[in-house]
Amino acid sequence: MKLKSVSKILLAVLLLLVPLLFRNFNYGILICGFIGIYIIAISGLDLVFGYCGQISMGHAAFFAIGAYGSALLHKYLHLPILLTMVIAAVIATLIGALLAYPASKLVFHFLSLATVAFGEIVYQLVAQSPGGITGNFTGFYTDSINLLGFKISTNTRFYYFALVCVCGFLLMKHRLVKSKEGRAFLAIRENSHAADGMGIDVKRYKIIAFATSAFYTAFAGSMYAHYVRFISPETFSNRQSVMFLTMLLFGGTASLSGPIMGAAAVLLLNEGLRFAERYQMLIYGFMLLVVILLMPGGIYGIIKKRIDKRRVVS
Amino acid sequence: MLTVKDVTLRFGGLTAVNNVSLTIKQGTINGLIGPNGAGKTTFFNLISGVYTPNEGEIVFDGVKLNGKKCFEINHIGMSRTYQVINLFRKMTVVENVMVGLHPKMKSGYFSAILGTKGQREEEKEVLEKALDWLDFVGLRGNAYEMSGSLSYGKQRLLEIVRALASNPKLLLLDEPAAGMNSKEKEELFDILRKIQNLGVTILMIEHDMKLMMGITDYIFVLNYGKKLAEGTPVQIQNNPEVIAAYLGED
Repeated sequence: MKLKSVSKILLAVLLLLVPLLFRNFNYGILICGFIGIYIIAISGLDLVFGYCGQISMGHAAFFAIGAYGSALLHKYLHLPILLTMVIAAVIATLIGALLAYPASKLVFHFLSLATVAFGEIVYQLVAQSPGGITGNFTGFYTDSINLLGFKISTNTRFYYFALVCVCGFLLMKHRLVKSKEGRAFLAIRENSHAADGMGIDVKRYKIIAFATSAFYTAFAGSMYAHYVRFISPETFSNRQSVMFLTMLLFGGTASLSGPIMGAAAVLLLNEGLRFAERYQMLIYGFMLLVVILLMPGGIYGIIKKRIDKRRVVS
Repeated sequence: MLTVKDVTLRFGGLTAVNNVSLTIKQGTINGLIGPNGAGKTTFFNLISGVYTPNEGEIVFDGVKLNGKKCFEINHIGMSRTYQVINLFRKMTVVENVMVGLHPKMKSGYFSAILGTKGQREEEKEVLEKALDWLDFVGLRGNAYEMSGSLSYGKQRLLEIVRALASNPKLLLLDEPAAGMNSKEKEELFDILRKIQNLGVTILMIEHDMKLMMGITDYIFVLNYGKKLAEGTPVQIQNNPEVIAAYLGED
């Protein structure tokens, strides 16, 4: 057997055994569940930012649409939770497409300004909702995911649920970026004029990238809602959007493993620095600066460079 | 196959292309020459859809192109290269050609996500085709390098083959020999002949007159946005107006 497949199997076993390793450390499993959620959210952002080259600074809005959408659908329409999660993510996808339609003409900072505005609009809607249906600043309580009677109510159960979701979403992403759609995204990022000249409908693919990205992040948001079972507006402020970007840039864009490493690293750092919570934005800002100035490819970029070097030597 | 009729393009008060008409015949290699700033590249941008003419019409293969977008014009069968190299630098050489094959691919978004059999087979076919195209210009050995790391001459060839991959009827080449050394230019000469033998019509801008006179069937001369002359290479070489435009009148 090749070294690669051996290490893959080892990794799978390790991932399955995480709850066992942490059996006396419930907090550890809790964090791993959150890492799973963020991997999905960041992988979505990566599709539009890393692959298609469109900066979104308002992805917390999709996180919110997923979370509130699913929780509200469950409460008011009494639909089963897994279904509400999918519906909420689909709604976010449609909203993403609607937003991307006019925004696809915008480039660089104009696009990011539009996404900032969008993030702010959704935040305001959630914080001061019509009729107070979201509970505004008091927050909103919701249930755990219910898989045909099996409640995903413990951290361990959620961990496995998240593991399955992460694998599913990463597989989807892998297939997408290796297809003609993925090449179209990259071509647009690299040179949108040439992409246009090569017969790629740039506008259409920008919308596809943005909508897919919204689906990922919104689904992650709905996972968050039913994991914590309580949501309030502050989770979905622009601070969250900045954290998404920090995670993605820190881990490394346009890759499968970058978002994984970025989500894990930033979240662990976040937990470790709980006592300095009021300096959170300062820390993100500092991290972004370090990444942009010293390690432009993120953690993934550094590792890849090492491997490439070794390949050249041997 | 391409008919341009009384086309004018203005940028505010500046008339970049002024009442130009020309006809390109199927299967020929055509040159477009003129002093710097004559409007050659602007003319390319006009027929490939970057700009829409203020007046006149462009008909390609029976279809009126006015107002059509670049990617639509590509689908009709016209492809191009750029004066400034416009490769997808952080994609591999073969991926660049696969992007060129994009309009030919049928499988859609959901078949990609689901990884259907048809989609995977199409991917394989497209990869094979792209590698064959790289053979065509002798770049197969560089297939998995980043296109941005190729030498200048090879980048030019890659641009040509990326444009060729979509099987265009008409290929527009904007200074394909710029930055090439004499050996690379000889290779280019052969490649252009091979492209012609595929049945592809070529319209090219080029400053290398030796190459131009040697390979083209017909030449159009632009000066100050107007068509100054047209004819066979020999006719152009002996045209006093063209000589005056290049060397300055006295």
